[in-house]
Amino acid sequence: MTTRRELLAALRRAVGDGAVVWRPEDLAAYEFDGTVERSVPHAVVLPSTAEEVQAAVRACRELGVPVTPRGAGTGLSGGAVPLRRGVVISTARMRRILEIDPNDRVAVVEPGVANLELSRQAARYGLFYPPDPSSQAACTIGGNVAENAGGPHCLALGVTQNFVLGIEVVTAAGDIRWLGGRAPDPFGFDLRGAFIGSEGTLGIATKVAVRLLPVPPAVVTLLAAFPTVGQACEAVSSIIARGIIPSAMEMMDRLCIEAVEAGFRVGYPEGAGAVLLVELDGLEGEVQADAARVRAECLERGASEVRVAANEEERALLWKGRKGAIPALGRLAPNYYIVDGVVPRSRLAAVMERVAAISARSGLRIANVFHAGDGNLHPLILFDEREPGAGERVLATAAEIMRVCVEEGGTLSGEHGIGAEKREFMPWLFGEEDLATMARLREVFGADSGLFNPCKVFPGGTGCGEMGSHAAAVRAAGPDAYV
Amino acid sequence: MASEAKAGARWPDPAEAPAPADLARCVHCGLCLTACPTYLVTGLETESPRGRIQMARLIEDGRAELTPAIQSHWSLCLQCRACEAVCPSGVPYGRIQEHARAQVQARPAAGRAGLRVRRLALRQVVARPRVLGAALAPARRFAGWRLRGLAERVLPGRLRTLARQLPSNQGPPFRLEEAAAGPAAGEPVQFFAGCVMRELFGGAHRATVRVLARAGARVGAPAAQGCCGALHAHEGDLAFARRLAKANIAAFEGAEGAIVVNSAGCGAAMKEYPQLLAGEPGWAERAAAFAARVRDLSEWLAARPGLPRGAWRTRAAYQDACHLAHVQGVRREPRALLAAAGCELVETEGADTCCGAAGLYGLVQPGMSAELRRRKAEAFAAARPDVIVTGNPGCHLQYLAAVREAGIGAEVLHLAEALDRAWGAEAGPER
Repeated sequence: MTTRRELLAALRRAVGDGAVVWRPEDLAAYEFDGTVERSVPHAVVLPSTAEEVQAAVRACRELGVPVTPRGAGTGLSGGAVPLRRGVVISTARMRRILEIDPNDRVAVVEPGVANLELSRQAARYGLFYPPDPSSQAACTIGGNVAENAGGPHCLALGVTQNFVLGIEVVTAAGDIRWLGGRAPDPFGFDLRGAFIGSEGTLGIATKVAVRLLPVPPAVVTLLAAFPTVGQACEAVSSIIARGIIPSAMEMMDRLCIEAVEAGFRVGYPEGAGAVLLVELDGLEGEVQADAARVRAECLERGASEVRVAANEEERALLWKGRKGAIPALGRLAPNYYIVDGVVPRSRLAAVMERVAAISARSGLRIANVFHAGDGNLHPLILFDEREPGAGERVLATAAEIMRVCVEEGGTLSGEHGIGAEKREFMPWLFGEEDLATMARLREVFGADSGLFNPCKVFPGGTGCGEMGSHAAAVRAAGPDAYV
Repeated sequence: MASEAKAGARWPDPAEAPAPADLARCVHCGLCLTACPTYLVTGLETESPRGRIQMARLIEDGRAELTPAIQSHWSLCLQCRACEAVCPSGVPYGRIQEHARAQVQARPAAGRAGLRVRRLALRQVVARPRVLGAALAPARRFAGWRLRGLAERVLPGRLRTLARQLPSNQGPPFRLEEAAAGPAAGEPVQFFAGCVMRELFGGAHRATVRVLARAGARVGAPAAQGCCGALHAHEGDLAFARRLAKANIAAFEGAEGAIVVNSAGCGAAMKEYPQLLAGEPGWAERAAAFAARVRDLSEWLAARPGLPRGAWRTRAAYQDACHLAHVQGVRREPRALLAAAGCELVETEGADTCCGAAGLYGLVQPGMSAELRRRKAEAFAAARPDVIVTGNPGCHLQYLAAVREAGIGAEVLHLAEALDRAWGAEAGPER
């Protein structure tokens, strides 16, 4: 067994005194992410270079201590929570943008760079980084790589996987390797692709080369209000069936509209059953023509009102409501629990009906805000943890919704990752052999001991007992988001 | 705000403990991190809003005492409230922080002597105009001293910074009688003059009165007004802050019209008197009525029709005072006024990020304060504005040092001084 003193001494040798957090009260600041999972690490290190990350990983490996990578801790699947304690390696001090090349349209950044900061800096060259999770102001590129993050604008453009060219990683074995590169066309085995979305179980990204796109010359943002969610869902399908691919199509239901209005007063139509936020970008003429078609389509499908943002300010306000929608639900109930599932777009209306039925049966209010265009649902179960048995009912309800997604031909996660919560559902989609194949990939990265971000992605696993049951976690939480 | 803390909570002063409902508002989504200047500098979550709220929760849940480490994280907070402006859950972070500081006041875990001296100075000097005037007289004399430049060169680091921060163009202190101005038939406006502003920024105050009069206000200034209490509340001396708040409410009750203030910190504090006095019987309505009358100078002006236009062709970099932008939500008005006055607005990197002045912060946390000033200096050096305009005394002092550090010749002006000059330039002989 390693003592705390030995561990701290080894970490200080690896990254220096000023980069090790060790006081119990300080470590408590690293016990959570955006979910209710909680576990206090034994130490946190803040390396500044890939070599320091490597030294920290090697020190932990030698001592047999679990490692959990962490970006900004905004994740929604418990990915950055050190469920087996041990050492958290934070990328918060690796925040340099190393290169923006406007000719190649490539940026090379350190993993701690905030998603929005990259787009902000790239804007000087008329470029941007398309994946835009709602937490983009804070969440990091390294975390985006780990979770294969999406965002509203992934509908037309794709997710993190589609924009990362190469990654320098410190593997769980403690080696520094490049997966992919800066060049546009990767060849050979796509280890880069295997690493993206591995949720920090294979290693830590220390540099990321990404593709940038030119900022579109024209953008139109429409807001359509519908009497019911079903009608809004049908509008989504029919817009895409007409061959229009908006850059984003986001839906919010009545409860969500109420929370957003309480929080931001963005002027979403009162009393609507659902609002659909549609954004189109491209060349001016084309965008205007498509906007007219979207408008007509919405009205045909029963929209009571279609509004177009008149200027950048109005557009920003409409998006502010959408991007802050989930935490804003904290205003409607003491607790909420976010489900992240995907269904085929054509099944959206049917699935929403089934979710509504589940809500009615369970007596739990469920708000919906989601990336309608790509069928990525985020039902939010509202509850009050002080009510006896609330935690269990919420988890059972969430599992039921996940089950519906799978039954309708969908998957377990659109963009938040499997993390801690949904790993027990993995067998619904994957056979034992499939899971074993995935697990064997870990050997390649030296992660076969299971000490790299333990208790994530794969069902079961030893030593994850101290996290307790999810029900207990939900009960213990304050008004918390839970993936 | 008095609150019922949980059983097991270990608050030194339970009556002033952060409200459990306020703490529970935080869903630790982390969206505040990159808004927080101290997190951006340190990369430490203990120096982030989410981390600082977690520290309070540890005490609330009985998981920790108020330790020196917890106190140091709170004390490194600038109370700039940039986090509040981006928080989707509406966490009243400023209020939580003030009540956390109240716990430090009640039973400091470290630095007892410094805390006591500051509290004494805030109560006995800052809140007493005459004493404050006498205390600042040497600084004012230094500011106008012939040998100032020479003296600054020989002063050691921190003193040199302080010396560089002193404005040299502000003239004598402002007397409340000087506020009486404007057309007899004008809209009545009550000017709030504050404490430090009155002593060190006489020039900005006189410019404010001229600008208000020019915009059609009949200006007055109730004689019984005093310090707003913002510094006291930020320090956690809530009892004294409440006393000052009550005195100001009473002072302005007899005088009609908007209460116009030209210091962002004072304006924010005064708009929040209702929550400061929420637990005080009989004060709710009076505080609400007072707060509803408070306007930042820029807000009041921007809402006036028929303002003079100017032709002051200068490159102006407006810097948001945190308590104007993040607390009062006033960002557009000052920029619009400058643009209408003819200025070419230059947006510098981090214009709405805290400059590190933050009330007494520069004195208590010189290292972090200097780092944030360095970042401003860098932004100024890159943008090369002719003038830097702001609306808060602390920031103003910080920018005077920052332009020196940036090695640029930019002039630092209060918004009122800038408008006074721009409108005067248009009017020509009137000045």
